[in-house]
Amino acid sequence: MSANIHDIHDQHHHTPSGLMRWITTTNHKDIGSLYLWFSLVMFFIGGFMALIIRAELFEPGLQLVIPGFFNQMTTMHALIMIFGAVMPAFVGLANWQIPIMIGAPDMALPRLNNWSFWILPFAFTMLLSTLFFDSGGPAAGWTLYPPLSLQGGNSMPFVILSIHLLGISSILGAINVIATILNMRAPGMTLMKMPIFIWTWLITAFLLIAAMPVLAGAITMLLTDRFFGTSFFTASGGGDPVMFQHIFWFFGHPEVYILILPAFGIVSTIIPAFSRKKLFGYDSMVYATASIALLSFIVWAHHMFTVGMPLAGEIFFMLTTMLIAVPTGVKVFNWVATMWKGSMTFETPMLFALAFIILFTIGGFSGLMLAMTPADFQYHDTYFVVAHFHYVLVPGAVFAIIAAVYYWLPKWTGKMYSESLGKLHFWLTTVFVNVTFFPMHFVGLAGMPRRIPDYPVQFADFNAIASVGAFGFGLSQILFVYILYNTLKKDVTADDKVWDGAEGLEWTLSSPPPYHSFEKAPRVE
Amino acid sequence: MTNLKKTYLSISIIVIFMFSFSYMLVPLYDIFCEITGLNGKTNQEKIVGINEVNTDRFVTVKFTSTVAGSEPFNFNPMENEMIVEVGKIYTTSYILTNNTNSLKQITASPSVVPGRDAEYFKKIECFCFTQQQINGKETKELPLQFVIDEDLPLNTKTLILSYTMFNTTDQLGAK
Amino acid sequence: MKNYLYMLALALPAEIMADWEVNMPRGVTPTSEIAYDIHMLMFWITVVIGILVFGVMIYSIIYHRKSVGHQPAKFHESTKVEIIWTVIPFLILVVCAVPATKALIMMEDTSDAGITLKVTGYQWMWEYEYLEDGVNFFSKIDNESNRARRLNSGQNVNNVDNYLRNVDNVVVLPTDTKVRVLLTASDVIHAWWVPELGGKKDAIPGYVNELWINIKKPGVYRGACAELCGKDHGFMPIVVRAVPKMEYEKWVTLQKDNRVAETKGN
Repeated sequence: MSANIHDIHDQHHHTPSGLMRWITTTNHKDIGSLYLWFSLVMFFIGGFMALIIRAELFEPGLQLVIPGFFNQMTTMHALIMIFGAVMPAFVGLANWQIPIMIGAPDMALPRLNNWSFWILPFAFTMLLSTLFFDSGGPAAGWTLYPPLSLQGGNSMPFVILSIHLLGISSILGAINVIATILNMRAPGMTLMKMPIFIWTWLITAFLLIAAMPVLAGAITMLLTDRFFGTSFFTASGGGDPVMFQHIFWFFGHPEVYILILPAFGIVSTIIPAFSRKKLFGYDSMVYATASIALLSFIVWAHHMFTVGMPLAGEIFFMLTTMLIAVPTGVKVFNWVATMWKGSMTFETPMLFALAFIILFTIGGFSGLMLAMTPADFQYHDTYFVVAHFHYVLVPGAVFAIIAAVYYWLPKWTGKMYSESLGKLHFWLTTVFVNVTFFPMHFVGLAGMPRRIPDYPVQFADFNAIASVGAFGFGLSQILFVYILYNTLKKDVTADDKVWDGAEGLEWTLSSPPPYHSFEKAPRVE
Repeated sequence: MTNLKKTYLSISIIVIFMFSFSYMLVPLYDIFCEITGLNGKTNQEKIVGINEVNTDRFVTVKFTSTVAGSEPFNFNPMENEMIVEVGKIYTTSYILTNNTNSLKQITASPSVVPGRDAEYFKKIECFCFTQQQINGKETKELPLQFVIDEDLPLNTKTLILSYTMFNTTDQLGAK
Repeated sequence: MKNYLYMLALALPAEIMADWEVNMPRGVTPTSEIAYDIHMLMFWITVVIGILVFGVMIYSIIYHRKSVGHQPAKFHESTKVEIIWTVIPFLILVVCAVPATKALIMMEDTSDAGITLKVTGYQWMWEYEYLEDGVNFFSKIDNESNRARRLNSGQNVNNVDNYLRNVDNVVVLPTDTKVRVLLTASDVIHAWWVPELGGKKDAIPGYVNELWINIKKPGVYRGACAELCGKDHGFMPIVVRAVPKMEYEKWVTLQKDNRVAETKGN
């Protein structure tokens, strides 16, 4: 291993400056920052699309866009937010945090690391460019169900190629994470002594390498169906469109946990730090994460209860899905037990983490309701589902990312953000998130289907409220950018140990940490 | 370093395996459909060597049809409904008219409702097994010979057979 | 909070007299009723769990904070407690799974149906075919809604009767009859859904799905396509008029007279 460290060291004797520094960088912190900035840009692009959607849905009747473009917006919004905003943000956090949390100088495969980031801008340029095609971008939903997706215009091969690239990027990132965590831990850090964030990322990385190739297979079949005369999914050639849904969701459900497990890790790090008390039930947290990951491979068909499955299939997938509530419940209970009899303070990261627990749990509740197949026949493909997955993804994944940024920003930059602005950002975000997504439960239950550009007037009021909330939420994020800017231009330096209750190797380093995080591996007792 | 390579190698193997696995899902799915009757898929191959049996049990078989993609075809069952004895071979047919002036390549896909009983609907002769051609303005009788397996669950009293007719002329051109 | 209320007030277009429907309709079929019952059961279970968990959390936030001088306790695991909160949720789930499984068995039993209605999804309309009675017709969005829905149509959609919920040809079904609905599609996947008649099911090209409904109360029930099927997915409503059996028979006779000339596939 020492040979490896020298390897990395030698490369950086002459670091290029300016743009070339970022293009050629193999440093985990630089790449982490690139991922995080990229994710922020994508968050705003995807958010802008969401605002187009919400603006059109502000009142019944079509005022702004034609239905075809509306469908492109819903499709792109999902692809950008999932693959462009949330996943890269978690990979960015992994890049920054894994070496400094396990006592390593850098990631195990630095050049691969550079690659896995720089694939992304190209992939998304290609994906976004399809919007300017004559036939428009993809409009069949991010799930790309055939036969509808096979009807798409010229954008289809470009979309599929860019998803392939995103998949390659994710797989490379995951390989790096696994290789780093398994081989570069500080002496004495056994697996069961690893920080919980490292555990969740290790499991996430395994999910990525198991799930992303399946997505690659599914979209390759779509591509050959469209252009090379195969008929995997067309009934006229003996194929079956439902089979795509099975393969897609075999990837898709693990993907859902790829988007949330690192968030669990972040919350499990922040709650103990600000409760000044050790995480309750570390072992059961690890086992719960692992069992959620394993269960995620046998529940996929709950996304498609209405395709007409045999009774036994419906019952099986209902029961396995309900089972996921058990380990997830354990996590929530453990967080609450960590807070119990602690000595809590409420800095911005803690506020976001607390909101995460409450709002993610609400999303979990609607998830439990959706698991009940007989009721799902009513919920399926309505705004109730939209409300559900936005509750687990926005105040879930996104809140965890924001919490992590506030929590580690002083460590990364050596500068402290403004606590009062951070709190303002928290309250605006939390209020508007609920104004946006809570009414969607109501319209969904009352019978409003998803993915429609216009709706009967009976749904008007709640949609208007949701639209106002969405704009409030979007605008509040400009404050977040301002807070980042404000922090970076400051001169005041932050302490090495920013939070008095925080534990972990990263707080033993200077703020900001040195270029090669741990030149000498620390000893963990 | 060797540890790292080992990790690297084993992960790459998982990636390649999972990619192939997505393709393995295709035949697995077919097997799964056959067992469970998912989507009402019926046998796509000829059943040979069926022996007729007397069961004195009668069920209703309904026939229906769909033309995919609003192609200019008329496609209807000859009989809408038959009362058949379980275990006996019956013959019926569908009538297809090509309303265009050109030769069309066609194929039909069958589906049986209720799906869980699809496996008991055995086709001896069916136009769904192969690609066929129909001339412009031609009307064709497409024969179907079937038997309801004697193992059909007792509570099933009605079976519905549906055919969807596809125009595959373009697909053939693409190949 | 003040901000929030202000936004709420701003967001209410006063001229719309919308009904503030916040829950799933109970519906008029056995399947919709059982879906509603299970929905409400799960809702109340989650409410109770939510009150307990959030209650403990909020208590802890109020009393176990540093600013009130609370010192952190040292405990960080308890096998007994952890086993308890693994087993109890599991038992609750078992309790929920029993009625849900029973409901599924009931919902999937399409045997002994009185009439068969075949529904075929097209981009973007529905075709209905009464297999036993030999009646068939297409049904698409009514002209008034269709005009008003265009981008910048200049029409106030609030003045359109049943905007996006009305069709040219209504499906008529008899009450107190088990209707077997066959679902298929001509081009892409659609889903046929009338909330008050129970759950939806996908209409898949090349394959046939089925569900059953047994309408207990005469009336007009409206629904829509529930699976993204292209640009006009939002504009293919469904209207079902349920009438007593006698009236249904009369309607069928009338349809046969009127639509003799109409054949399939045109």
